[in-house]
This record gives sequence, C-alpha cells and structure tokens, in this order.
Amino acid sequence: MAASVAEKVRRALLGATAALLCLGLSAGPGLALSDDIIRVGVLEEPKSLNLWLANDTWSQRVVDLIYEPLYVHSPKGPELVPWLAAGQPQLDAANLTYTVKLRPAKWSDGSELTAADVVFTGQLIQNFQIPLQSSKWKFIKKVEALDKHTVRYWLTRPKAIFLTRTLLTPIVQKKQWEPVAKAAQGKQKPLQVLLRFKVDKPVGTGPFMLASWKKGVFVYLQANPHFFGRQQTIAGYTLGPYIKGMILKVFGTADAAVLALRKGEIDYYWNSIQPGYIQQIKGDPNIKLFVNKKSALYFLGFNLRKAPFNDVNFRRAVATLVSKEFIIKRILQGEAEVMHSLIPPGNEFYYNDQVPRYGNGLSWNDRVKAAYAILKKAGYTWQVPPVSASGEVVKGQGIRLPGGQPMAEFTILTPPADYDPHRAMSGQMIQEWLRAMGIPALSRPMAFGAMVQRIKDQRNFDCFVLGYAKLSLDPGYLRAFFHSAMDRPRGYNMSGYRNPDFDRVADESENAMDPAVRQKLIHKMQAMIMQEVPYVPLYNPLVVEGVRKDRFTGWVSELGGVGNEWSFCLIKRAK
Amino acid sequence: MRKFILKRLVQVVVILFLILTILFVLFRLAPGDPVSRLVDPNLTPEEADHLIEQMGLKEPIWTQYLMYLKNIGSGEFGYSFHYGEPVAKIIWQRLPNTLMLFTTAVILAALVGISWGKLAAWKKGKLTDNLLTIASLVTHTLFLPWLALLLVWVFAYHLGWCPITGMITDEVWLDPACGFFTKFIDVVHHMVLPLATLFLIHFGSYLLVMRSSMLETLKEDYILLARAKGLSERAIRNQHAAPNAWLPVVTSVGLSLAFSINGGALTETVFSWPGIGRELVMAVSQNDYPLAQASFLLVAAVVLLSNLVVDVLYAYLDPRIRY
Repeated sequence: MAASVAEKVRRALLGATAALLCLGLSAGPGLALSDDIIRVGVLEEPKSLNLWLANDTWSQRVVDLIYEPLYVHSPKGPELVPWLAAGQPQLDAANLTYTVKLRPAKWSDGSELTAADVVFTGQLIQNFQIPLQSSKWKFIKKVEALDKHTVRYWLTRPKAIFLTRTLLTPIVQKKQWEPVAKAAQGKQKPLQVLLRFKVDKPVGTGPFMLASWKKGVFVYLQANPHFFGRQQTIAGYTLGPYIKGMILKVFGTADAAVLALRKGEIDYYWNSIQPGYIQQIKGDPNIKLFVNKKSALYFLGFNLRKAPFNDVNFRRAVATLVSKEFIIKRILQGEAEVMHSLIPPGNEFYYNDQVPRYGNGLSWNDRVKAAYAILKKAGYTWQVPPVSASGEVVKGQGIRLPGGQPMAEFTILTPPADYDPHRAMSGQMIQEWLRAMGIPALSRPMAFGAMVQRIKDQRNFDCFVLGYAKLSLDPGYLRAFFHSAMDRPRGYNMSGYRNPDFDRVADESENAMDPAVRQKLIHKMQAMIMQEVPYVPLYNPLVVEGVRKDRFTGWVSELGGVGNEWSFCLIKRAK
Repeated sequence: MRKFILKRLVQVVVILFLILTILFVLFRLAPGDPVSRLVDPNLTPEEADHLIEQMGLKEPIWTQYLMYLKNIGSGEFGYSFHYGEPVAKIIWQRLPNTLMLFTTAVILAALVGISWGKLAAWKKGKLTDNLLTIASLVTHTLFLPWLALLLVWVFAYHLGWCPITGMITDEVWLDPACGFFTKFIDVVHHMVLPLATLFLIHFGSYLLVMRSSMLETLKEDYILLARAKGLSERAIRNQHAAPNAWLPVVTSVGLSLAFSINGGALTETVFSWPGIGRELVMAVSQNDYPLAQASFLLVAAVVLLSNLVVDVLYAYLDPRIRY
C-alpha cells in the first residue's frame, strides 16, 4: 500500500515538474522595456551603495554615477573640468586658501545643493577618518561656506593632491548623512556605524539614481531628472543623459556575458574582453570594439632587504633578461603595451619615456650576453657560464655571488592562475629565463590575500609579480611605492627601497602645486627608479570593450575604456 | 524513539558548538585579513589600521570569540565586512534561490534515478540496463562547468529556447503589469538549463545506488516467496523489492538535500544564479569572516539535522529498525 502511494506521489511530482518545465520553455523573452534603456553586463553586483564602504570596482562604478565631485578629469587628459563647481578654484597664495564657486545643482530628491553639503562632506571625512578618503583631507585646516554657493578650503601647507584628488571627492547630502553622523559620534566605533549605514535610497547629484535593485541579479538606474548637466556644455560635450536609464545585469562568468552581448541580451559588457573572444567578435557586424589604454601597472618586484636583490647589478641583469615583448605576444596575445617606466604610457602628462630600457628589442642571445656582462662585471661567477669562451650562449649553471657563496634558490611569488593567469604565467616565464642563466629562481603561485600579507605586512619574500589594475591619474603613488617612510608594515614600499635623494624629490613633488613643476619632478623620480630598478615594469593591458552598435552610439573613449560617466551622459539610441 | 531523538539533538548541539569554535579558529589562522585585499596605494597604513580596529579585529582573541558567540546567539551572525549588512539578512536573501534550484534538482534527479535504477536492476544484463548504466556513468563524470556552458551555448545562444543565464528577466520584474504567475513562469524559464545540468550530473548516482541495492534485494527469499505466490512481476518489483531497496538511496538523497543548502558555487557562477554558494566562495576569498563562518555553520547545522531526520525515516521505512 505504502509503495503504491509513493509511486503515485513520484508520478505526480514528475508530471508536475515536466509541466512546469514545458511552461517555462514556452515563456517568451518577456515584455519589451523602453528602447532608451541600456543593458550593461557586469561580473559582480555592487557590494554596497554606501559611498564610504563601496571600495570594490563594481560598487564604485555604480556609486560614481550617483554621487558627484566638484571637479572631474577631462576624458582627453588629466586637466580638471569643473563639474559641480562653476569654474576653476581661485588661489589666495598669501593665506593658502582655495575658493570654489558652485554651479546651480540639485540633489536627486529635488533639494538644492549648497556649500553646506560640501563643508559637511569634508568634515565627515576628517572626523570619521574614512579610509581611502581621509589621507587627501589631512592637510586641510578648515573648510568653510562663505555663502550658499561658495566654499573656501584652508590648507596647512601646499599639497599637489589637493587639486588632483581632494577636489575630486564625491559630495554627499548633509540632510541624508547628518543624522547618521550624529548617531555614530557617541559610539565606541563610530566609523563602523557609518560604514554599516544602509543606503536604500542614495541621494546624489549624478546623472543617474537608483530605481530598483534585485540582489544578485540586476541594478536599475534611472536618469536623474534633476541632474545639473542636462543640456549643459562641459569640456566641449553637451550632456544628457539621453537615455532613460541603465540596467546593470550580473553575469557569473565572462563567457556568459560575451554570449549575451553577441545574442543582444546586453548592449555593452563593462569589462575588458578576453583575447580569446576578440577574433570571433570582430566578425560580428552588430558589435563595435573599442581598444583603449589603461592606467595600470604590472611588474616584477624585488625584496631589496636581502641578497642578491640588494645589488642593483643583479636587478638590472634580471630586467635585461625579462622579455616583455614575449610576455605580451604569447601570454597576453598582443592585448597590452610594454611598460618601461612605472607610470602608464597612457598618462601622457606624467609619463617619462626617457628612462633606461633594459633589454629593449634584443634577441634572446643578446639578452643573455648583456645580462652576463653586467653580472660578470659585478663579480658574479659560474661553474658553467651562460656565455662560453667562444661567445656562444649555453645553459648557465652554479652561479655564485660576488663574495663567492653559491646563490640560494629564491621564490617569485605570483597570484594563482585562477585569479590572474597572466601574472602566474609571467612568473613562470621569468623563472625559466633566470634558470637559463643558472640563477636558481622558482615561481610559486599563492592565494592572493596570503601573498599580499606576506609581501606587504610580513615582508617575508624574495620576488613577486603583482599589479595595480586601476591607478589614479595623479602619480602620487610613486611616492607611496618608494619613499622610505612607506617602508613599514601595510606601507606600499614593499621592496624596501631607500634613497634619501629620491625621498627629497618625492617630498618636493608632493608639495608642488604647479603642474609643470610637478611634471618635472615626477619625470625625475621615474628616471631615478628606473636606474635602480626595485621594480621591473612589465606590461599594461589594453582595455578591449564591446558595444552593440545597433543599439547605442556616442561612446566616449578615455584612459580605462568607454565605461565612464561621459559616455553614459552622451550615448543616444542608434538610428 | 523520543529518547533517541532527544539524545541525538543533544549530540547535534555539542557538535555544532565544536564546529563553530573550529570555524572561528580556522578563519583567524588563515593568511590575510579583510584589509589585505584592498591593494590600493591611496590606502595609507594608518587608514588600514584604523579600518582593522573598527572591524573589531584588534581586540584580544577571547573578546572576539565572545562577540562571535554573542552574534550567533542574537541570530544576526554579525555584520559582513564587505556588505556592511547583517549576515543573517544576506543569507536569507540568497538561501531561497539556492534551495529552489538545488532542492528541485535533487528531488527530480532522485525520482528519475530511483525509477530508472529499479528498471535497470529488473532488466539486468539487457539493453535497457546497459544503456542506463552507461548513460549514468557518462553524465555523472562530466565536468559540470563544461556541461553547463555547452547547454548554454546550444540551447540559449544558438536555439534561443532559454535565457543565457540569470534567474529573472529584468523586463518582467520591472513591469508593474506583470503578475505573480508571469513572474513565476519567468523564474521557471530561467531554471530550465541549470536544472537540466544538475539533473544530468546527479541522476546517475541515484540510479547506480538504487540498481545495486535492488539487485541485492532481488536475491532475498521473500522475493522468491512472492513469485511462488504467483504475484505479478510488476507487483513484485514495485511493492516487494523496491521499498526494501530504498534505504541506501534515502541516505544519499537526505545528505544531498542537506548539502544543497550551500549550493554549488560552480553551477551558480556559470548560470549567474544568485545563491549562497557563490557568496560563500567570495566570503572566504575576501576574508569576510562573519559571512563565511555563518554560511559554513548553516551547512553544518543542516547536515547534522538531516542525518537525524534520515535516521528517523529509516525506522518508518523499515519496521525492523527500532531505536
């Protein structure tokens, strides 16, 4: 009896499932949403719309469309474009103050943006020491509202990043954040309270505002009817937005996102397309590919605190052996550019192309010969030298340090291949090149978090291959990477590079408010670093993005790609 | 029976306490911390330290442990470092999606696997048995992401029968005119491919277990007796052999249902299914301790309770078993 009941239940369940699946398959693609809404494929949803917590790329992309700063960078270069500001900041050199006039603008709830909002934002960052923000406000003595639309910043000392980063701080609405700040102030961990504030309806001045968010599936941003930029011509562009909104659809893998782009389920995939897909997409008449430079840096770093990495000759020899062209051609399939300096070539204003180019354009044999010459001159010896007496390149063996001791095996740490195959493969290639010279290198992939902790916090490493996927246009990071003061746990001088001359120039550059003066100093810093090569810059990947040209036109390319605020303010329906 | 259940419940509580302590220790021993992944030269060492302190990770380890216990006791499981939201809320947002997909897949695969396993055993050595056994072995050993992408490529991209990935269609869910039924069908439409993938991967294991168990049962004397009594082949198969062959399958299905709570990170990733599996992987990789600990704890709790339920179910299915 029990069996026959079970049999009936089983049949009923199977029947119901089959019926549902048939119904599901028969369902159409759904109702057509307005054609003026762009569908954008992303690989992750935002973690939070709380501006102060949104530190990851995907959250920042959404947040940047909602909250706006006083100034933005022009898509054509690093020059400052007044955004919420009405004009360029006015300097009073005697008092070291900058005065900024605001243009008439409204928040997305219809209320007016005032100087009080700007002052409140600065005070909030300073009082709560908000991470990633507070360092660019440390030198601000006071920020005050002179009237409803004028703000004055009092600086304690000249600081270059005031113009390039402080004025680019997104502004939050005092009305929305003041109660949160007040509630947090009395608490034991005020920053924690601020970061945990759930922003269900972010109020911003940006071109878009949040309309709907289905967690893990999509975010729907509607055009902000109060956006100040509508029909305004800024940096030569007459802004919209000309679309009604944008839907950010989450895809778990790049494979699915690319298929969705080709199928027309999305109009733009907001990520660089992997080289393997590019040839297929090139043949698709409905897709247009944009190739742009990136503000990124991928490099090989040394631990200068120990031998043989504390020897500049050894570092130069390694830099000579590393074939960046090979890495780009074979590992990145040509979708990258060679880096000779630590500032990406796309950052034209600060990039110095007059730095030593180790091994540039040399054949493998010539690289080995050049590296051998450097090391031999510095006192290194071999059991079997990599270049024979007759000048023939052979496999080197048994390298010894200038003091005569055998060189111990060392490790090149890389992220694992599932995190970044390019860096993992680059590490392997460097290992092989060094071994060909008899240098006992071993490439070792390691979980990213563990690797960073070992390099940045514990300083327990030999060499590493790391990268910064998105560097700011302001080159202040050069100081962070190599200034002696940053050689401490959690500091970014991971190599332990110490050079008082460099420190002096770096400090000067930090205080240089005149862009031309700063440019010279930054050029000098690059030259100094590339003379001593604590890092060997490797490559800078290109950003290859695909858009449906049958859907929207008017994309604006800038360093980093077409996925930027300018594009979303300017794209229009394709005719 | 009541005494048995009570005793097992006490065991479950003790084991859970041990597990939650081990989880706490393991995550603290793992290399890295929630800030070490923030590789941004604009983050100064002072800011990083301040952030760590505000996350409560500079407190003595005992204080952190007590806070952890308090958070579990409150039912909120603390706040996610990355979402800034209560962990319980994040889990409850994702869990229904995972359960909907994976529980349906397990039940469907079990129903079909049991049926076909029964049939394969009954037709042992014949073409049906050979075909079903080979099909089970082949599908069960396929690499899941490969199969998933293949199905997407054929049925979504080329034939256009299903959406490429995702769980819902934005047009449907943003349209106020769409009612419950339309939305329900939309979800089912999105479920077809992930469900087919999971079904193909899993039905084989149930089939093979059922087949093997059924073959053992068919050797029993009571089957011979049933034949001697002149019962029909169908009655012997369905009413005498099958119910006695279910026990190992029930264990397997029970555990699969329990583990379906943590979903399958691979399936959820390939099909962009917003479930708990993907969250768990991301939480671990980003050192989001509160979210990762709570997710593992939930899996442990459900597995322990499922074991208890399976044990009780045994007694119902086999009257010879008494506790």
